[in-house]
Amino acid sequence: MDKGLLAYLLIPLLSAVIIPFAAKNRPKLADILANVTLLAGLANLAWLALRPSIIRGEFADIPGDGLSLLLVAAIYLVAFCVTFFSAWFLDEHLPNRQAYYSLILVSVAAMCGVVTTTDFFTLYVFIEVLAVTSFALITTDESSGGIEGALKYFFLTFPASALIIVGIAVMMMSLGGLSFESLRIFMAADAPAGTVTFAAALMMLGFLIKAGVAPFHAWTPDAYQGAYAPVSAYLAGIVTKISGVYAIIKLATLLRFFDGRAQAVSEMVMFLGMFSIALGALAALKQTNFKRMLAFSSISQVGYIVLAAGLGTPLAIMGAVFHLLNHATFKTVLFLNSASVEKSAGTTDMDKLGGLEHSMPWTSWTSIVALLSTAGVPPLSGFWSKLLIILALWESGLKTYAVLALLFSIVTLAYFMMMQKKVFFGKKTAAAESSPEVSAPLLAPVVLMSALIVALGLLFPYFYTYVKMVAERIIL
Amino acid sequence: MTYHNLLFVLAAVFAVWAVMAKKLLTSAIMLASLSAAVSLIFFDFGAPWAGVFELSVCAGLITVLFIGAVSLIRAEEEKHPENRTRFYALPLAVAIFAIAAWFYLPAFFDELATGRQMAAGGGTIGLALWDLRRPDMLGQVLMLAAGVFVIKSVFPRRTENK
Repeated sequence: MDKGLLAYLLIPLLSAVIIPFAAKNRPKLADILANVTLLAGLANLAWLALRPSIIRGEFADIPGDGLSLLLVAAIYLVAFCVTFFSAWFLDEHLPNRQAYYSLILVSVAAMCGVVTTTDFFTLYVFIEVLAVTSFALITTDESSGGIEGALKYFFLTFPASALIIVGIAVMMMSLGGLSFESLRIFMAADAPAGTVTFAAALMMLGFLIKAGVAPFHAWTPDAYQGAYAPVSAYLAGIVTKISGVYAIIKLATLLRFFDGRAQAVSEMVMFLGMFSIALGALAALKQTNFKRMLAFSSISQVGYIVLAAGLGTPLAIMGAVFHLLNHATFKTVLFLNSASVEKSAGTTDMDKLGGLEHSMPWTSWTSIVALLSTAGVPPLSGFWSKLLIILALWESGLKTYAVLALLFSIVTLAYFMMMQKKVFFGKKTAAAESSPEVSAPLLAPVVLMSALIVALGLLFPYFYTYVKMVAERIIL
Repeated sequence: MTYHNLLFVLAAVFAVWAVMAKKLLTSAIMLASLSAAVSLIFFDFGAPWAGVFELSVCAGLITVLFIGAVSLIRAEEEKHPENRTRFYALPLAVAIFAIAAWFYLPAFFDELATGRQMAAGGGTIGLALWDLRRPDMLGQVLMLAAGVFVIKSVFPRRTENK
């Protein structure tokens, strides 16, 4: 485990334990404690990232493979946006307000554990903590949709846990150890990899289910649609990306997909990635509910990351890592905007919405920035990550996949344009008549994330050197 | 040997208690205690990895899941009358097994103890928990915290609903 990053795990855990006692009679204190904890972590990360040596492009001070630090930053950023939004969004009399924040902080600690660990069993333990906290967070909304989503999440992701633990057991028997390093060394050697590859394939299957990749995506739309609005943003923005997608990228690099050591697994992962892109995009075209459409869009975008991870070349891994970060930013914006629309207009049914751009201009504009980035329109951040992925596919001779990935990017733009037209453009509907813009504190996290989307796109050459360093460190 | 027999008896008592308990919560806690006893037996036989995994997965994770599930069950659902007659046969079965074990198990344990000496290089509980698998302990602490907050998150709403 990377000890340099241990504080990012321990401090939220400490805050999570303090909150129920400190905020017992003053529920608002729970908001403040959770936000201050995450803001302090972000300030510390900014201090790390803005050192002169790092700005000069020298990354000697970055601990571990660099990916952990990058993902810890993404975790803190999305969690901070969600807790800040929740502070103004949550019902004043929510009986479990303290537990809500404690659960978010425990899941932040667990995600930091996932991205800093160097052992498969520890990875499994932290992923299970995430599963438990996610289940409880989805049930925050006691509507039938929330309970249905939570149960589907429970029943479909726990078999995934079983697959992962069986994979770990087989790996322990065949490899004699569970550290990432032992798998890396084994795959670099020329020994026959049959049993170890089988164990890794079982784990990979478990992680694919956890990531909500098609055809294992059945839990995703219900969980995202049924969950409390900020919880959907949190789950879609970062939780499923860390508990599933990060693990897939990590396993892909350890299995050395790029030199064809586990060709069958690599091909299976790429196929499922492409299938997910297609199914998510086509299903999103047909949705009439704002949140459900975003959920299918999320399945499609995760497909891009999985496709790149399955290819496994340094360029593809760069694209996967960068798209994972971009997904955290644009999906958080879109889900938080859906929460704002729900709060203001009282519905997320797109057939009942329309003409909100006049009354909710900030929400409308930030949605445009996020959707254009998701579709891969230059110069926004999503363009660069998709470009890297498509270039990596083309370079490796997988031209069909490259062309399909490009085509479904256009489909992404199509369904998002339809969403923007139905929700924000056109004539005002009855629901939109009395829908004022949400308050400034609810807009602040969305505006911050949108600014980040633009900045990451415009300053890509600077960011590229960091992502390149990450890809080199995790592959070599 | 005494230590080992004590653990074995404890494990059996916890197992029977888990089945006989009237409250689901008690059953879940007894199952966790059973897992803890079994993991100590694993340690005693020089299998620290098996012991740590038993402790992590069964005593930690599974217990949290059970307690989380029990907390979701509403009060009225717990009050369904249940025919418990068949459970009373269990102590009798255990007593018969205990008498049989008195004769046959010591020899079996002696054989296992030889295995323990062979695996003496496997490490101690302390080495396995605090040195080899230290990050798992952190994960377990997180899991316990998550379990407590799941209950804190669900119970207030049950009270409100009443």
